[in-house]
Amino acid sequence: MGRQRLQSFPYWHEVILAAMLAALLVFARSVAPEFLYPGAQAEMSTHIWELALLALPMTLIIITGGIDLSVGSTMAMCAVVLGLSYQAGISPWVGALLAVLTGAAAGAANGVFVAKVRVHPLIVTLATLAAYRGVAEGISLAKPVSGFPAGFTVLGLGSVAGVPIPGLIFAVALLAAAVVLGKTTTGRSIYAIGHNELASRFSGISVDRIKLALYTLSGTAAGMAAAVFVARRNTAKADIGQGMELDVITAVVLGGTSIYGGRGRIVGTLLGVLLIHETREFVSWQWSRDELIFIVVGALLIVSVLLNTVLSPRRR
Amino acid sequence: MSKKRAATKHGAGLGIGQMLGRLARQREYGMLALLALTVAAVQSINHSFLAAGNLSDMLVQCAPAAIVACGMTFIIVMGEIDISVGSMMGLLAAVVGVLVSKHHYGMSVDLSVLLTLLLGGCLGFINGLLVTVGRVPSIIVTLGMLTVLRGVTEMVLGGEWVTDLPHGLRFLGTGSLAGVPICLIVAAVVAVASIVVATQTPLGRRIYAVGSNPDAARIAGLHETRLKTLVFTLTGFLVAVATVVSVPQLSVIESGIGSGFELLVVTCVVVGGTSIKGGKGTIVGSLLGVLLLGTVRTDLIFLRLGEMSTYWERAIQGAFILAAVLVDHLVRRRGTVEAEA
Repeated sequence: MGRQRLQSFPYWHEVILAAMLAALLVFARSVAPEFLYPGAQAEMSTHIWELALLALPMTLIIITGGIDLSVGSTMAMCAVVLGLSYQAGISPWVGALLAVLTGAAAGAANGVFVAKVRVHPLIVTLATLAAYRGVAEGISLAKPVSGFPAGFTVLGLGSVAGVPIPGLIFAVALLAAAVVLGKTTTGRSIYAIGHNELASRFSGISVDRIKLALYTLSGTAAGMAAAVFVARRNTAKADIGQGMELDVITAVVLGGTSIYGGRGRIVGTLLGVLLIHETREFVSWQWSRDELIFIVVGALLIVSVLLNTVLSPRRR
Repeated sequence: MSKKRAATKHGAGLGIGQMLGRLARQREYGMLALLALTVAAVQSINHSFLAAGNLSDMLVQCAPAAIVACGMTFIIVMGEIDISVGSMMGLLAAVVGVLVSKHHYGMSVDLSVLLTLLLGGCLGFINGLLVTVGRVPSIIVTLGMLTVLRGVTEMVLGGEWVTDLPHGLRFLGTGSLAGVPICLIVAAVVAVASIVVATQTPLGRRIYAVGSNPDAARIAGLHETRLKTLVFTLTGFLVAVATVVSVPQLSVIESGIGSGFELLVVTCVVVGGTSIKGGKGTIVGSLLGVLLLGTVRTDLIFLRLGEMSTYWERAIQGAFILAAVLVDHLVRRRGTVEAEA
């Protein structure tokens, strides 16, 4: 009875993640106390926003049983659009809007192929991963654009009442994602699609429309992430966001979303993003070696999923 | 529509399997036609495109992708995927470089190559075990591996380049036997062996059986675990083979080798008609995919669109995949209409 109750407790994964995060922070505190100083953490938090923004729609997409590998390339394409439009004399704020629109269009194209042409999302977004990066390189000829006005960098580095502006954008997105997924019929439909797409279709859920919306949302988020990134780094180049899709998927899967669909929560993703962020920052703080970050993050992904399958034996 | 019906009329008694086989073969003819069209178009604009020297260069460029695509086809046919092959190639290149370099271990070329091949097999085996015994989805395992191995590569190289490759190793990349570059001979051997395994042996039939219906295959007594582990191990080994014959073409080994290689290989296999859901696909299709996509850059250069045009290479590769899936979609729709009729 007690064992059964333990197994039916729905937040095991989140508890494990929180424990891992706590363990990491305790370890960090004992090795390098300065790492936990608010100033240092605030400084490092500027790196988290692109990952965090992209992880939200990715969670919803993976819950439907899909995947979006093109987010990093979409980011690059949007950044290049922003850069080139600024170079052409358009205000960077309008450029940022154009970047978000470009992202939405790119995401919608993914969505059309997934929902209407019914191609496996892995293949569609693998193709657009190459295609969008290629377009970014093609239209910018791989040249960087920099020297945005100081007023624009506020978007990446500024803050309102102590809260960073990208953080505000993220907070709104987070709230929206959590409410939609947890409290609305659309949210329940998203889980239903992931559990059994055919049954969802027969029960009248507009599967295609939801999928199209989710991929469009993912592209839009990539556009926003690109604008924030360009504003923070003050440069737009076709090679940004390389490998971003891996970080995002790692964060989402680490957060307990099943890659087979049907299972996952925004809270988990939030913890996954935090865990990856703190791990990366701590490793680079303590040893300042990028290669270690790769090894630790990759191992984290495999081990967390391995633990998950071991803990829940009835899953495939 | 009616023309198509007439064409298949005499085959009305064909089973579903044969009909699917037909469709798969049609895909290869289509690929061949597209390849011929591309070659003819480029040749008509630039007459030196089909010169023997350029042809050989292009094939040499395609060799590593062709070698790995053979293993990848088996993996995807089994319903799995391996996106760690690029990072694996990077690590194996670093390892072979460090082993032969006088500044590091200074081993003999034979021993270093042997150890590299062994390591490739081991890495593939680890992937396979995590997928089969660990029951972690292959996309997750190899995504994790992609990241981990990239880190290990940089650790092995320590941020430096290996530049003192001995003549014996360079020969594997640049040498030729009887006028044919070694990497082409190796690629041809791997390709023929894979085609034979896929079409003529019980092993090949088992791989396709597990891919098309895992439950039925299990009931029929096939060892899914063993077969999948074997195929992942084989792919790891083939990555090592590709590394050994392609990396020494350059005189420098650095940590960027192999980045993006996994995308090229998976793309070629998928464009070549292998279904990502498993059970369907041929080695020949994958090889045609390699020839089509591996030569995009050369095509662009020979089209004399100006040197800036090579920046569009990746966009064109992506467009090829989307075109392939669109064609598939149209063919499939026609196929289902016929099946219902």
